[in-house]
Order: sequence, then C-alpha cells, then structure tokens
Amino acid sequence: MIKNKFGFALILLVFAATNAFSALSGQNKKQIPAELPPVTDLAVIDMPYDVGGTALLKWNVRPTDTTDVIYKIYVSSMETGGWIKADEFPADARTGKDIDLPFWAWEVSAHEHAVKVELNNFYGEAQATGALFHFKVTAVKNNISCDSQVVSAKTVSNWFRLDRVNNLVLLIVIIIIFFWAVSHAKRKGLFIRRIAGLDAIDEAIGRATEMGKPIYYVPGIGGMSSISTIASAFILGEVSKKVAQYDSQIKVPHYDPIVMTVCKEVVKQAFLEAGRPDSYREDINQFISQDQFSYAASVDGMISREKPAAVFFMGYFMAESLLMAEVGATTGAIQIAGTDSEGQLPFFFTACDYTLIGEELYAAGAYLSKEPMLLSALKVQDFGKLLVMVSVFFGIILVVIGAKLHWDPFVQGILNLFKAY
Amino acid sequence: MKLIKKQIPLAIVFFFGVLTLASYYVPHKVSVDFMEMMNKWENIVSAFAFFLGLISLFYSHYHKISRKADGWGYSLFVYIGFFAMVVPAILCHGKLMGAAGQTALGWSFSFMYNPLSATMFAVLAFYIVSTAYRSFRIKSLQAFVLFMAAFLLILGKVPLGQIIWDSVLGWTGAGVDQVIEWIMGVPAVAGKRGIMIGIAIGAIVTSFKIIFGIERQYMGKD
Repeated sequence: MIKNKFGFALILLVFAATNAFSALSGQNKKQIPAELPPVTDLAVIDMPYDVGGTALLKWNVRPTDTTDVIYKIYVSSMETGGWIKADEFPADARTGKDIDLPFWAWEVSAHEHAVKVELNNFYGEAQATGALFHFKVTAVKNNISCDSQVVSAKTVSNWFRLDRVNNLVLLIVIIIIFFWAVSHAKRKGLFIRRIAGLDAIDEAIGRATEMGKPIYYVPGIGGMSSISTIASAFILGEVSKKVAQYDSQIKVPHYDPIVMTVCKEVVKQAFLEAGRPDSYREDINQFISQDQFSYAASVDGMISREKPAAVFFMGYFMAESLLMAEVGATTGAIQIAGTDSEGQLPFFFTACDYTLIGEELYAAGAYLSKEPMLLSALKVQDFGKLLVMVSVFFGIILVVIGAKLHWDPFVQGILNLFKAY
Repeated sequence: MKLIKKQIPLAIVFFFGVLTLASYYVPHKVSVDFMEMMNKWENIVSAFAFFLGLISLFYSHYHKISRKADGWGYSLFVYIGFFAMVVPAILCHGKLMGAAGQTALGWSFSFMYNPLSATMFAVLAFYIVSTAYRSFRIKSLQAFVLFMAAFLLILGKVPLGQIIWDSVLGWTGAGVDQVIEWIMGVPAVAGKRGIMIGIAIGAIVTSFKIIFGIERQYMGKD
C-alpha cells in the first residue's frame, strides 16, 4: 500500500515537472508577456507623393502582434482630448508591404506597421492639409488596452509623384522618338504601311458620287476632349475635302454640340481648300440629341429613309454602335468604321466592310492628308509598339527566371516597373 | 493677323496641353485646383454650345417642314418631343416627385422617355441576332475560330449546353465552364490588351501632335 502511494506520488511529480518544463520552454519560444506593452516607437510622417491630407503612422512589428491583439488608431486636432477613432485592425496586418508604392519610392518592410490615416474623412479637405494633428495607437487584448505616446505632424501637398517615374521615363522616350521621326520625315520622308480601311474611303466617296446618294459621317458620342473624337474631326476634314472635290453630299449628325461647332469649322475649311466654298451648307452638320438612344434612333431613321451610299462611323461609340451599323448594313451602304472603344469593335467588324482598330483611327487623319510631318506620327506609333513588345518580352523572361530561382524582391521589382501607379 | 489666327492659339494649346500633362505627375493642390478649374470651364462652354446645338436642330427641322421635304412629318415630332419634356420641366421646377406623388415631368419621364429609350435598347437584341448570323457564316479559318469560340460560349451559358457537353465531351475531364473561362481569360484578354496598348500609344502620339502644333487642321490652313 505504501509502495503504491509512493509510486502514485512519483508519477504526479514527474507529470507536474513535465508540465512546468513544457510551460517554461513554451514561454521561451513565444515570449508572450503577462501584460500587453504599449507601442513605444510610434512615428508619423506626411504620406509622400499625394495631394495632402493623409498621414502615415509607422511602428515596428512586435513579438506580441498576434491575431487576438487589436490596434486602434486615434487622431485629434486638439492639444488634449478630442480623440477620434480613425482605424482599427488586427495586429498581424497592415505592414509596409501593404503600401502600394514601387521599390524606388518606398522601402518595403514586413517588419514595420504602416497605416495611412486620411484626415479628409474626419476634418474636411480645408483643414486636413497644413494643420497640426496628433496621433496615438492603442493596443487592445482581452479588454486590456494600453496607449502609445502621442505623436504629431502636419500633412503637406507634394510636388512630384516619384512613384510615376517609370511612366515619365516611357513618356520621355516616346517624346525623343517623336521628335526624331518628325525631323527624319522633314529630311527624307518615311515609308508608311498601307491601311485597307482608309484606302477604301476614296472608293466609298466615288460610289456615292456615281449613285447620287449622300454620305453619312457619324462622329460618335464622345466629347471634344476624347482623343477618338479629335481624330474623327481630322478624318472628317479629309473626307469632306474629297466630297467637295467630287461634288458629292455629306451629312454629319452630332451628339455633342461642342463637337458640332468644331466639325462645322473643319468641314467649312475643307470645302474652302477644295475650292468649292459655294457647295458648303450650314445643315451639313446637324445636332441631333445628347441622349444616346435618341441619337441612335434619329440616325437610324435618317439612314433608313435616305439610303446613303456610304456611312462612316469614326469616333467613340457605346451600345448604339450596332444599332446604327446594322441599319446601315441593311441599306446596302459601304460602311467604314473606326473606334478606340474595344468593346464595340466586334460589332463593327461584323456589320461594317472595313474597321479601323484603335490606333489606326488616330493615324487616319495623317494617312489621308499624306503630309510628311503628320505621317511621322504613324512611325512613332509603330516604334512605341515595338518598344512595348520588346519590354514585355524581356520582362516576361526576367520574371520567369526570378520566379524559378525564388528571387521574390527581384520579381517584385520587375513587376513594379510595369505597373501604373 | 497671323499672330492672332495662328501663333496665339498654338501657344494656348501648348501651354494648357503641357500643364494638363504635368498635372499627372504633380499631385500638389495647385495642380488639382487647376484641373478642377479646367473642368468647370468645359462645363460652361458646353452649356453655351448646347444652345448652339438646339438652334441648329430647330433650324434644320424648321426648314424641312417649311420646304415640305421628304419625311417632313417626322420633323414635327422633334418639336412635339421637345415641348413634351421641357414644358412640364418648367412647370414642375425640374422636380420628378412632388407632395402629391409624381409630377407631370416625372410622368413624362416614366411613361414617355423611359419606354422609348428602353425600346431602342431592346432592339439591340434583334440586331445582335442578325449580325451574329452574318458573322457566323464560315468562309475562312478565322471565321471558323470565331464561330467555335462563340458557339462554346453560348453552349456554356445554358443548362442544356452543359448537359450536352458533359455527355459528349465529359471524358476530357474539362467542364464547359472551364473552357469558357480559358477563352475569356487568355486569348480574349490577350487580344484586348494588344488593342489597348496600341490605343494608349496612339493617344499619346496624337496628343503630342496637337500639343506641339504639328497637327493644326482644327485651325484651318495658312
């Protein structure tokens, strides 16, 4: 019996010792203190490369940053009190890696918390930039909380987006190629590839003249600030000149009154240059409606009634593209379309005889005018595409090599170079 | 005269073009305010231009009616439609809902404008069918590829198509939804991105042509 009691006590002792040892070793591994220490190294800076009104709080990631610890960010515009809770997140989140900036503009660190506080949301736009704000971080665990020291900073408007330097470099390269191509065109002239859709314009106008039917030129629903509408106005000038030379008729229904005003001048000038100012009529350009489907219905009606020999769709289009192109196709007109709205391209491909894809629309005015200076722009477009293709090709190779060798920072750096910020 | 007609407009285009371009790289409030001011000016100019557009519209339709041109009766509907919306808008001070429910303007919107607009949009479905019929006639290898891609997409979007796929091609291990996902995510996106890169470069070059005064067609010739 005594022997049994002694054995039982021995087992208990061994069990207790094992538990105590494992608890100790566990403590050594996790080093979780009994109480939550406050954040001691809190710093605040102005968020770089922005318009202002955003502060960036930083402090080091701590061993106690587990999922059950919550950080609360407080902001105040007053010396004492007036704290507003600006943010709240688990302690294992929001590090420097989460700030979406490239490697040349931001030191990526997973060992540091980095939290953006948008002051505009709490104090309004006018007060958020330039005024002094105070910040503190409260760590909370199991209803126990402890505050950091209070740090203060002002936010300012910055003058340069360093994160967009990759974009700026590309822009400068294209500008250099642009001026090289322009000067080259002045001296020697350039070979330009043929664009079938534009070569068909003469054919379409000739057909209209022979048939004695009008030509419809639809500049789309874009405003004058849209590049495709500007390109459309240039093409309209060249088409109108040919129409005036052939003594044919052209009608230009408009969605936007500003575009109509510009196009009136363009057409008038084209008739003047062709030596036929007497043929110009004020009703060539006609405002229809600024409502998408009213515009489409009206243009459809005109095309159905007048059965034009040729229809041009040049500019920015949306859902009305097929509504108009299909009606034109049923009347048997030669249809030439051009748009940079890639969602509408399939509709034009199927309903029109020729379609200018994206950049061909921009190049069309220059192509038709045959002026060397303008034609040089086509060459720049081709060089630009070559530059992008070469960059993408080498980018892919570098990323694949980096991924294969697990060079994560290298891969991230290459991806940063290709990203728009 | 050349100074007023050519050089000053070109200088204005260059100045505002470069400033607008620079605003992309300058996040400062001065830059943001400048862009806001430009947008406000654009709105102001648009408002005036709208009156010009309205005058053009009324003028051309008035002439059609007065000359009794072909289809002059349709021109009457321009005036009818215009006044049917504008008169209630003035009477109701532009409000769609009043204390007693829908105003006359609200009624015009709900029972005239919206049904007409929806009808036009609905017509699109019929046009898609007729255009699809035309484009799916297999005349070349490219047309065949287009047809197959479209056929698979249609097939995968209906339950019957999924059943047919599973019973005929189920042994391949790939579901029709996976095939659709691949078509939309790989070849379609590749083509779309190619077009978008071309568009972006074209837009940059066109902007340069205008900013640096190489493209001057909008100002007329010397």
